[in-house]
Amino acid sequence: MRFLLLLPCCLLASIALSACTDFVEPNQLAFVMGTAVDRAEGGLIEVSDQIVIPSQLSGPPNRGGGSSGDAGSSIVMSATGRDVFEASEKIQRKMSRRLMTSHRIMLAVSEAFFNENDAGKLFDKLGRDPANNMRDMTIVVRGGSAKEILMLRHPLERLTSIAAGKELQINGLTKFSSRQLILEHYTDGLRPLLPVLQIEKVRTSSKESTPFAALSGFAVLNKQLRIKGVLDENESAAAVWMSGKGAYQGLTIPWKNGKGLLSFRLVHLKRTIRTRSCGDSKCAELEVKAQAYLVENTTSLDMSQIRNMTDTERYMNAEIQRDFQRTMNKIQQWGPDIFGIGEHLHRHYPYWWKSRQHDWDERFKTLDVTVKADISLISIGSSGGQMK
Amino acid sequence: MKANAISRSLEENEAYLRQRFHPSSDIVFRVFALQDRTPLLLVYLDGMASVESIEANVLKPLLFGGLPEGIDRMRTLAETLRREWVPLANVLTDESLESLVKHILQGNMAILADGEASALVAQVQGYEKRSIQEPLKESTLRGSKEGFVENIRTNQSLIRRRIAHADLKMESFTIGEYTRTEVMLVYMQGMADEKVLASVREKLKGIELEGVIDSSYIEEWLENNSFSLFSQIQNTERPDIVTASLLQGKVALLTSGTPFALVLPVSFWSGLQSADDYFERFTFVMLTRFIRYVMTFISFALPAIYVALSTFHPEMVPSYLMISIATARENSPFPTVIEVFLMMFVFDGLQEAGVHLPNQLGPVVSIIGALVIGQAAVEAGIISTPIIIVISLTGVAAYTIPRYSATLPFRLLRYILLFVTGLLGFVGFAYGIIFLLIHLVMLESFGTPYLSPIAPFDGRRMKDLFIRYPFWMKSGRNKKGRQS
Repeated sequence: MRFLLLLPCCLLASIALSACTDFVEPNQLAFVMGTAVDRAEGGLIEVSDQIVIPSQLSGPPNRGGGSSGDAGSSIVMSATGRDVFEASEKIQRKMSRRLMTSHRIMLAVSEAFFNENDAGKLFDKLGRDPANNMRDMTIVVRGGSAKEILMLRHPLERLTSIAAGKELQINGLTKFSSRQLILEHYTDGLRPLLPVLQIEKVRTSSKESTPFAALSGFAVLNKQLRIKGVLDENESAAAVWMSGKGAYQGLTIPWKNGKGLLSFRLVHLKRTIRTRSCGDSKCAELEVKAQAYLVENTTSLDMSQIRNMTDTERYMNAEIQRDFQRTMNKIQQWGPDIFGIGEHLHRHYPYWWKSRQHDWDERFKTLDVTVKADISLISIGSSGGQMK
Repeated sequence: MKANAISRSLEENEAYLRQRFHPSSDIVFRVFALQDRTPLLLVYLDGMASVESIEANVLKPLLFGGLPEGIDRMRTLAETLRREWVPLANVLTDESLESLVKHILQGNMAILADGEASALVAQVQGYEKRSIQEPLKESTLRGSKEGFVENIRTNQSLIRRRIAHADLKMESFTIGEYTRTEVMLVYMQGMADEKVLASVREKLKGIELEGVIDSSYIEEWLENNSFSLFSQIQNTERPDIVTASLLQGKVALLTSGTPFALVLPVSFWSGLQSADDYFERFTFVMLTRFIRYVMTFISFALPAIYVALSTFHPEMVPSYLMISIATARENSPFPTVIEVFLMMFVFDGLQEAGVHLPNQLGPVVSIIGALVIGQAAVEAGIISTPIIIVISLTGVAAYTIPRYSATLPFRLLRYILLFVTGLLGFVGFAYGIIFLLIHLVMLESFGTPYLSPIAPFDGRRMKDLFIRYPFWMKSGRNKKGRQS
């Protein structure tokens, strides 16, 4: 009895306390799947939101309408403002539905924006506003505006944002969310590494070639979130692995004598950082570990011979070590420590770190970092020797 | 001398009885003289007493055999008849006319003799009764196929057959001013809690009812908290459930005229446990219990959760799912809460109609339900598909609960939770669940906390809650009763 009396009382009280008109029907919401940030005239920011049109998206495939990549399954709304919020409010004023950014998959920022603005301020909005889920991928758009990427049509997916998200995910690159970026931005001994998308023309059928946003490398950013350099494809693979963000990748190396190639699939990618004192500075060693499966062998090696296997393993390790060291040196020249070596030093030598954290980018350039590889060849595939 | 004591004059007695039963036509008065000396009067109700039994056991010996010569005048005639002449197992003498009337009404036959102040009551009950059948509402895949029937003697025997022990006690109570229904208190002496027994006895004696039609009448009088959604007494048609409960130290009540026995005290969990849980392999029971508990939660919470997620917290739903929901709801004319409420209402309405429709018309409801509500409403864009899925799932989930009466609180809770959630989102949902838990923790069934053994926690008794331990692991548990 008391229960029956108490319940309505408490409900009435809570109705008074909270706004009971909080609810929004799904058809009063505009789901933003992707956002592009570009610079605009006069130091303004141009924000573009890619919004799905639910009525154009097909539910069951047989309902007609909305085949994949269908025209008009999304619209792109843009506005300029002094900051992200102001621009978003301007978009909101043009919309019949409330913008819902919690389901965003991609945040595209043009390279030009990074180079001319303090991008840290952009990400303040992301970290502060609880309406962002921070699971969205942050990417850099090279050559062209980020808005264009949103307007592109993808031959396979409904929206380019979904395509970009899936593209990273399917290639084992899952650690590039906004959350990760913000963490990296606020961590002293770690610098962000962001995927770079570029618009390419791809011939998708005999008649036409469609513009296509494809992953073309990774951008290395410094503490002020300015792009210090962009890595090419090979370097990207090395950098991603060395910064501990990849899950798996492929590797192709020519054999010693230059005749034939060896290809491996690498899984269980790991990396370990070790640091020690050497002189008055510190030395770091970065070891990469993986398991390799041989998937293609065009050399004359007979892999059923154990000697050849160990040779291959040794040679592969040496090659990777050489390759990765080169990438490491290149990034060191640029300055930003995307590997988190600074963070490792911070934890192990806190007093040493304290006096050096402010100019870490400069110090990282001269730090002695050696790369080691410890990759074990665990499978030579289902055929032993070369096909005769 | 009491006013309704049997008189020595047979005419007076007959007049009294005739007047008492006037103008009922099914009462039979049969007068005959014993060897032309003593007039005897047989009184019984036609249809309630077995005519064959009367003829074979009373009339034949008396008419053809006659009383022996030199009857011992020290004994009354009734006593003589009882000792020597009526070959029936259950015979007693009575000295009050009013109690004679009661016996006659129960289907017994009264034998009155002239010049005697006592009467003989011969138990010759014989009326049509249902035979033992498989309980329909609580059928199991394995285990006994016997179910209780309306006859209390049969029901008693169903329990006695299963527990052949003198500690099994059955106390009889007569309840109902007019129906004079027999209610049997069944328990295992030494196992059942004396305090529970005393309180049940006291409550049974305090019942003021004109009639007891079903055990539910007794149930409502016995319950401590009648306003609760949750019943504090279990009802069952299965003798094996009653037997198992008795052996756990619980108390059962059999009521004449209904196949539903009452078992008390119970906990929240006993409503969610099926007899099959004890008949199947315990490893599989782990799965079925898990499914049942999850489905129980779905059965009262899913509509509310759906409303909270889709209209208050769309950011909590995975992106693709949310877009699917948004796509489906694009043209819906009603707000989600109203739509869910409408569908729940219609679902319960169909269910109610299905219960009351004659069997031949049963399919009509399913056709109307499936075609009109399910398909037409969706195609017309009045109701959206996700809501149909949610409501059907909710409706089906309730029936994973093995006992029908245990589903009822959850069906009501559904509406309450939907209401608070529709107002406040997950905050309201949390309010609803908190109040539900407060209520359940406070609720008691004859001294046993309703949520035990979870609250208050009792690790030893957890062996039969989420996982039913094999019997040999639980052995010794019931050695000294007081289990609930």
